[in-house]
Amino acid sequence: MTTVNLHLQQVKERTAESMEEMWVNMGPQHPSTHGVLRLLIKLDGEVVRECIPYMGYMHRCHEKIGENRAYVQIIPYTDRLDYLASMYNNWAYCLACERLMGIQIPERAEYLRVLIGELQRIASHLIWLGTFGLDLGNFTLFMWCFREREMILDLFEAVSGQRLNYSFMRIGGLALDVPEGWLGDVKAFLQWFKPRLPEYDRLTTDNIIWQKRIQGVGILTPEDAVSYACSGPMLRGSGIRWDLRKNDPYGIYDRFEFDIPVGTRGDVWDRFWVRRQEMEQSVRIVEQALTEIPPGPVLAPVAKKLRAPVGDIYSRVESPRGELGDYIVADGSEKPYRYKVRAPTFVNLSALPVMLPGYLVADAVAVLGSVDIVLCEVDR
Amino acid sequence: MTAEEILQQIRARFGSEIRTSEVRRGEASVTITGDRNLEICRFIKEELGFEYLNCLSGVDWIGENEMEVAYAISSLRQPGKIILRARIPRNEPVLSSVVPLWGTANWHEREAFDLLGIRFENHPDLRRILLPEDWIGHPLRRDYQDERFVPYPWDDRKPGSVVRPTTA
Amino acid sequence: MPQIREELVARFYALFEGWGIPWIVPRLVVMLVVVSIIILFISVSAMFLIWWERKISAHIQARFGPMRVGGWHGWAQSIADGVKLLLKEDIIPTQADRPVFILAPMVVFAAALAAYVVIPFGPGLIVEDLNIGILYVIAISSLTVVGIIMAGWGSNNKYAALGALRSAAQAVSYEVPLVVSLIGPLLLVGSLSTTKIVEAQRYLWFIVLQPLAFLTYFTCAVAETNRLPFDIPEAESELVAGFHVEYSGMRFAIFFLAEYANMFTVCAIATTVFLGGWRGPLLPPWLWFLLKTFFLLFVMIWLRWTLARVRVDQLMNVAWKVLLPLAFANLGITGLLVWVFS
Repeated sequence: MTTVNLHLQQVKERTAESMEEMWVNMGPQHPSTHGVLRLLIKLDGEVVRECIPYMGYMHRCHEKIGENRAYVQIIPYTDRLDYLASMYNNWAYCLACERLMGIQIPERAEYLRVLIGELQRIASHLIWLGTFGLDLGNFTLFMWCFREREMILDLFEAVSGQRLNYSFMRIGGLALDVPEGWLGDVKAFLQWFKPRLPEYDRLTTDNIIWQKRIQGVGILTPEDAVSYACSGPMLRGSGIRWDLRKNDPYGIYDRFEFDIPVGTRGDVWDRFWVRRQEMEQSVRIVEQALTEIPPGPVLAPVAKKLRAPVGDIYSRVESPRGELGDYIVADGSEKPYRYKVRAPTFVNLSALPVMLPGYLVADAVAVLGSVDIVLCEVDR
Repeated sequence: MTAEEILQQIRARFGSEIRTSEVRRGEASVTITGDRNLEICRFIKEELGFEYLNCLSGVDWIGENEMEVAYAISSLRQPGKIILRARIPRNEPVLSSVVPLWGTANWHEREAFDLLGIRFENHPDLRRILLPEDWIGHPLRRDYQDERFVPYPWDDRKPGSVVRPTTA
Repeated sequence: MPQIREELVARFYALFEGWGIPWIVPRLVVMLVVVSIIILFISVSAMFLIWWERKISAHIQARFGPMRVGGWHGWAQSIADGVKLLLKEDIIPTQADRPVFILAPMVVFAAALAAYVVIPFGPGLIVEDLNIGILYVIAISSLTVVGIIMAGWGSNNKYAALGALRSAAQAVSYEVPLVVSLIGPLLLVGSLSTTKIVEAQRYLWFIVLQPLAFLTYFTCAVAETNRLPFDIPEAESELVAGFHVEYSGMRFAIFFLAEYANMFTVCAIATTVFLGGWRGPLLPPWLWFLLKTFFLLFVMIWLRWTLARVRVDQLMNVAWKVLLPLAFANLGITGLLVWVFS
């Protein structure tokens, strides 16, 4: 309790510092905090001087729940972490368990995981692009992105019966094989989606207002990016060519050809441009997976009651938002002894107070948007 | 640098601090006593060149009456991963903060403080991060009771049934 | 048309004079009638505009927009919305400055209303052909800012205050190039009266002679009405809703109505000064006027749903470093040419 009082005292002192500066609460109810995040921002006119993020409004102690569930029972809870990329959360958790228990999964399941994972990455980046458009005041982009995302959701609905919280992956593979003709539907979707990207460019990349708004704003130096352990497009936007799919391959990513787009200056534009190009790369991966996918089973023969050997593992995957890690400590029982999720957005968000000071309020919105936060994952 | 080499270097430098060390799944896995965690981390970061702190998580080993902080450390320039576990007594879980080395440790340590009650010395801003500021207890401790038993300051309806969780 | 109107009014006055009632009474009656007509026109056109904007934006965004209320393409949607807003509870924040808070929407609406006096919908179809018409519009439309600042201040809300300050800065900046760009065509006419300006475009619209002035004016007009890409006073992603964040129900509806009325005004002025006003073949003059105005409104809506929002500092830069020099250059060239040819 003393730390709390101390902190309140500090805030009071800071508030009393000067009449010119104003503390503004951005959130928890604010249109551009992408969920219930509260930013306490000190404004000097329109310029941000300081930013203190407060979170935890959606905290449900995911990790405590995990400690009280069997390994398989945790899968549906992982859906609720990053609800815009549920498939990837499933994958990250299942992969950690498989590595811990030494389970090999069938070839077809590996291909389907990559295929679905990359479609999920496209869907997640589409949502990001749309909401980022909202942050910058471009409404039309939002609707256009949702149109394409809706098609991916339809594809996922066909395989899992769900549109948001899929719970589709299992420890040892997938819950079900994809329905007949589904791979053809994916092909058709890619045919539709590929010409849409230049269309988005006409609204965004080619537009001078869009360029001027986000170039040179919210710069994150490579040193800061590494110190704050940023990952995903945040890290790549700062010019560090680091993608777990290439640098620490999991699944069968080492079999595919794709590029890692990187930025040069580490500003909002670079993060935008990295995500924009990643969608193209994901399309490439999906196309390769479609041609190579073999027939066969999708679930390895695993025990009904899974027990992990004593030990711990930190397993990581490259989710659309960055490095999604699971730290699992097993004590030999049916439940994990300790289960921690290293949420990429939680870590990326911690770099926000470094990026904001010195920019305008309008930039603060753009910078926050470029971090691509999902509060359910931040708060866990 | 292979995991075995990493372990040798750490052993050579901090032999007395190390409880166990092994190579598991190609990763260096070290358990240390908590006294010199900052120095060991600095050694790993600055001399072994593992500059990326992936994750920091606390574990409550209630059976051994100990707390643990596990650092998952890797590098963007070289392969290899290190899992460093610092053990501290459970009744006084205090550890030096590694925020001077890694900015990302700031929020991770706040989270460990929040959910497990591990205190980090010299942390710039150690306060609750996910739970409300007036929350009592640390939910991820193994002896933490169900939230129904958390006594709220304004709730004294059933004084007999209230089990006060341990507060660090 | 004007003769008939003059005659009607004269007879009306004479009637009352015959009854021995002081002249102030018929005068008041005439004023009331005219004001009612204007308010009716504003309400109907604003409602139509809102519905129109929703349909256009919907089609730009690959959806349908309102489709249910009223049957045909949701034509009654705005009416339903208006009724809903009017029936809502009137909420005034406890910490607000009550008189200022209540007065603010009225000031904004009054300013929007007053500007309609000099809009020439057709030959003689004008409330009062003031000889200082354009100057009057510019002066009156600046009053909107006073109302916005009152709203921002009276709400006692940081977001509202920020929005109001932004609005004041924006209005002051954009008023200057707006006025300067209008002087060009005025030099060609030699009069400030809106009717005379339209009559001067008998052979050639001023958009041909003054394209630069038109572009400058239109950009400033978009900024004046706080529309995207210049809607920073109410940028919802930054300031939630800006100056009207605390307003709801009827008071919000009045702000909304005033905003669309202002849009109509600036586009009507653009039509009058640059697009030849009511002039056009075949169709009746008032229809031509409305067609041209609504075309400009369509362009404004189109801009809003395709562009992103500029930033505060960029907004100021555009006003002072781009638009103002352009407007002055246009003014200088026009002045020189007028002097040479006359």
